Amino acid sequence: MKNRLEQLRKERGIKQEELAAILEVSRQTIGSLENGRYNPSIVLAFKLAKFFNLSIEEIFIYEEDSDEK
Amino acid sequence: MKNKMKDYLITLLGLVMLGLGLYFIKSVVEPEGIMRTLPYILVGVGCGVFGSGMGTMIQKRSIKNHPEIAKQMEIDKNDERNIAVGNAAKAKAYDMMVFVFGALMLSFALMEVDLIATLLLVGTYLFVIFYGIYHRVQLEKKM
Repeated sequence: MKNRLEQLRKERGIKQEELAAILEVSRQTIGSLENGRYNPSIVLAFKLAKFFNLSIEEIFIYEEDSDEK
Repeated sequence: MKNKMKDYLITLLGLVMLGLGLYFIKSVVEPEGIMRTLPYILVGVGCGVFGSGMGTMIQKRSIKNHPEIAKQMEIDKNDERNIAVGNAAKAKAYDMMVFVFGALMLSFALMEVDLIATLLLVGTYLFVIFYGIYHRVQLEKKM
């Protein structure tokens, strides 16, 4: 699953640490999300969507052929 | 306050166990039966309990005046990725343990180790396996 997290965060001029503090997750989680190494729980996805004032689909792009387990 | 008391009690219990173990080592001249191993078990477990209790107390004291560090520690503890990583590592270790313990039991049987020891190991192994099955059934109902 791809996402626009890094782009959205940079557009708003906030650091990973700041976003992590706002969402009450670790900075590593934000880094892993941006790199696409980790897919968030539905709760965290909603928190991100609420923070950026967008829908989940506008942040995360689901690819059907992606090899996920 | 209740938690602070608990930490003190754990630390004290560790110290008492450690002291008792050392006392038994020094005072019992010709130990027989359980007294041959009990003092050393008391020293080992006492050190562990004391270290754990003392560590918790020092940690709580050091973060008392630094709420930002306490907050970060709380975030790291509850962080969903950290939890997922920890659970995945535990699951891998469990899968490995099933094979390692299986091999160990087979080795014990081939080495003709005392039957009690082998049966205790088999019992413990089965207990862990059934504990996993029990939780799987419980989680199937809940999720």
